[in-house]
Amino acid sequence: MKPRYSLILAAAASAFVAACSSTPETIEELETARAVVPQVEASPRAGVAANNISEARKALDRANQLADKGGKVAEIQYEATVAARNAQIANEKILSAMARDEIEKGTAERQAVLTEARTREADRNAEYARTAEERAKSLERELADLKGKKTDRGVVVTMGDVLFDTGKATLKPGAYATIERLATVLKEDTARKVLIEGHTDSVGSDEYNQSLSERRAASVQAALFERGVEASQISTVGKGETTPVASNDNAAGRQQNRRVELVFQDDRSKVASDTN
Amino acid sequence: MNHSMTRVAVPLALAAGLLAGCGGISDLTKERVARSETSVQQAQQTIGNSEQGAVELQRAKGNLDAARKAMKDGDEKTTERYAQLAQLDAELAVSKSQTATARKAADEMLASIKQLRQEAERPTSPNDAQQRTTDDK
Repeated sequence: MKPRYSLILAAAASAFVAACSSTPETIEELETARAVVPQVEASPRAGVAANNISEARKALDRANQLADKGGKVAEIQYEATVAARNAQIANEKILSAMARDEIEKGTAERQAVLTEARTREADRNAEYARTAEERAKSLERELADLKGKKTDRGVVVTMGDVLFDTGKATLKPGAYATIERLATVLKEDTARKVLIEGHTDSVGSDEYNQSLSERRAASVQAALFERGVEASQISTVGKGETTPVASNDNAAGRQQNRRVELVFQDDRSKVASDTN
Repeated sequence: MNHSMTRVAVPLALAAGLLAGCGGISDLTKERVARSETSVQQAQQTIGNSEQGAVELQRAKGNLDAARKAMKDGDEKTTERYAQLAQLDAELAVSKSQTATARKAADEMLASIKQLRQEAERPTSPNDAQQRTTDDK
């Protein structure tokens, strides 16, 4: 019996502690316990496993005493194993406690991030509302500068006959400043829609006047497109001679009737004017 | 190897000193074994088929078997010791499993915070929000 035991121990020793001292009394369980017990004792969260740590210490002390007295290897192994297991259990309890701490901290942090995100979102919306309002105000100012008239259809800016070549749809360079400002206004607020209406006097055939009014409206539209206004913001219509603003009996009246009107619709009245 | 050594060494060493004086097993030791059995069963339920604690549970079962065998042999001290080791291994198995669960929950929490942070820092305007809603339809 004894020789067999020595054989096993020798085999174990050569496998485990080849680099260590060749003393056959090196007991692996004891080495493990001596390493792990002080580790858990030193943990800042040792409190969560006080029982296991105290059991580990007692067992390790017993194992050390046995080893000092040259006690039986099996006895030392047993006490050392009890010490090591208790230390391992303590270690797991400490790791669990640390994970729970993280969860607790994380719950608070998560709430803070959520609150922060909501605040930021609210700020962003307020900022957007403010700039939208500012844009609307600046639009009103621009239109006022362009001598826009408030009507029940919205603000109407009139481009007079003098801005077109006689009898043609071509815009004269004098119209560019107005076009430029209109484009700026429309680009600033892409939700804003404009209806471009061409009008003529009563001189000439209806067909000619209809066609001329359409081409003049289209010409203004094209000039706005060229300046980067979105197609969806603009619609055009040729009204021919159907909607005079002055008498066609004298030259001054006829000149007033030859015009292009840009109708800037209020967001609210948009639907109403679409049905026109 | 450590393990096989313990299994062989403990009974061998104890056999000499204890076998002679051993009559019956005390009620206290029987209770001790019964408690370890309960602990091992509970550990089995906690761990199920998961990996965390499986090795320790296996070891607890081995120690419990050894305790039962020693009890049959009428070896009080060996029974007592294997029962104690079975108990400790069952507790360790459960602790490991609990740590793994807590760790996983903590990692998920950290990941969700990270994701929230990224979402919060991504600039979105009400226009984008409207766009998304429209796209969803």
